[in-house]
Amino acid sequence: MQNQEGAVPDGEKESAISIPISEFDDWTNFADDDIMQQQSAIHAEEANKIHFVGDKEPLSMLAAEYESGSPILLEKIKVLDQQYAAIRRTRGDGNCFFRSFMFSYLEHILESQDRAEVDRIKGNVEECRKTLQSLGYADFTFEDFFALFLEQLDSVLQGNEDSISQDELIIKSRDQSISDYVVMFFRFVTSGEIRKRSDFFEPFILGLTNATVEQFCKSSVEPMGEESDHVHITALSDALGVPIRVVYLDRSSCDSAGVSVNHHDFVPTSGDHSNATSGSTEPARPFITLLYRPGHYDILYPK
Amino acid sequence: MQASRARLFKEYKEVQREKAADPDIQLVCDDSNIFKWTALIKGPSETPYEGGVFQLAFAVPEQYPLQPPQVRFLTKIFHPNVHFKTGEICLDILKNAWSPAWTLQSVCRAIIALMAHPEPDSPLNCDSGNLLRSGDVRGYQSMARMYTRLAAMPKKG
Repeated sequence: MQNQEGAVPDGEKESAISIPISEFDDWTNFADDDIMQQQSAIHAEEANKIHFVGDKEPLSMLAAEYESGSPILLEKIKVLDQQYAAIRRTRGDGNCFFRSFMFSYLEHILESQDRAEVDRIKGNVEECRKTLQSLGYADFTFEDFFALFLEQLDSVLQGNEDSISQDELIIKSRDQSISDYVVMFFRFVTSGEIRKRSDFFEPFILGLTNATVEQFCKSSVEPMGEESDHVHITALSDALGVPIRVVYLDRSSCDSAGVSVNHHDFVPTSGDHSNATSGSTEPARPFITLLYRPGHYDILYPK
Repeated sequence: MQASRARLFKEYKEVQREKAADPDIQLVCDDSNIFKWTALIKGPSETPYEGGVFQLAFAVPEQYPLQPPQVRFLTKIFHPNVHFKTGEICLDILKNAWSPAWTLQSVCRAIIALMAHPEPDSPLNCDSGNLLRSGDVRGYQSMARMYTRLAAMPKKG
C-alpha cells in the first residue's frame, strides 16, 4: 500500500532507475500484484542488510548509532550499558516483537535446559489450541504453525536425536520457512487470547484503533508484518504464561536528577506461573528482556 | 513448497467433506496441479448479480498460506472492486490483510460478501464506482444486472 509510488513493473527488479519512462504512462500495467511484488522486492533488499535475528553486539554499537543524536538517548544508553551486556537486533519488518520473543525464549530454554518450563508452556500451547477451536478456527488453518513451534521447543532440549546447538538455533531463526511459521504461531496464539478475553481487551483496542476486537485481530494481529503494541504483548505473555520485560529507550525524561531508563514487566495474569523450584512468592525477574525504541523491538542481555 | 502442498491437500479434503454445507460455492482443484483451483460462486440474492453463476480462478503461490492466493473473476462482472478487463479483485484480505487463518473456501465467501457490499471508494472499475458514488444506484444496478445476464447466466434457446 504505502509503496505505491514508483512501483516497479514486473520483471524489473534489479534497479528502479532503469524503468523506461513509457511504462509510467500505462497505468493498466500497475496491477496490485506488481505492487505486492515490488513490496517483496523491497523486503528482499532489506533482508540483505539485516538478518531476521542478528548477532550479539555490545551496547557501544547502539551508542554509535546516536552519536550526533539526542543527548538524552546517549545518557540513557550509558545507563543501559551498566545493566546490560549486549543487544541482539532483529529485522524491522513488523514482526520484530515476535521474532525477538521467539529467539529469546528458545535461547533461554537452550541455556537453562529447564524441562519444567517446557512442560509448562506445552500445557499453555494446548490451551491455546482449544481456544482457537472454540472460536471456530478450523484445525488445518493453524496446526502446522503449532507443530513447528513445538518442534523448535523440543530441538533446544539436549539429549534428543535432533537436538540443536546455539549456532544451529541462530541458523534456524534466520531461515524464513521456520522463522515466519513460528511468528505466525505467535500471531494465532495472540489473536486467540485477545478474542477469548475480548471484554478485557476491548477498551485497550478502542484506544488504539476504531475497530472491534474481531476486526482488530483480523487486521492487526493475524496478518504477517503488522506491528505489535502493548495489547499484543499482554495477550501473548498471558496466553503462554511467559513474563516479558520491555525496556524503553525514548526521549522522555522525568526530572533533572539524572536520567533513568523506564521498563515495564508484562507479568501473566492467568494460570499459575508461581515459581515451582523456589518457594519465593516474589515474581521472578522475566528472563526475556526486549529493548523498545519507538516502532521497534530488539533483544537485550542483562549482565 | 512442501508446506503449501500439505496445507492445500488438507483444504482439498475439507472441501470434499463440506461440499453440501455451502451450496453457493463450488470449489474445484485442477486435476494435475494442486496450486490451480477454480470456483463457481452464486451471485448473492437481492443484488444485481442474483441468478448469475460466476467463475473464479485461483493461482496459489508456493509460500501459501503465508502469502495469499491470487484470485480473479473469469466471468465478466460489472462491480466497483473488480477490474472490468482482467477480473482482478480489490479486496484487503487478498493483499495486506491476508493471514493463514483464511482458506480458499472462506476467500470465496468474502468475495460473495464483496459482491453484495461494494466499496465504491476504492474502485478498480471507475465507471461502476462513479455511478455509486454519484448516488445513481439505479444506473449501477441496471448495468450490473445486464452484464450478469450477458455473461453469468446460461444462454436461452
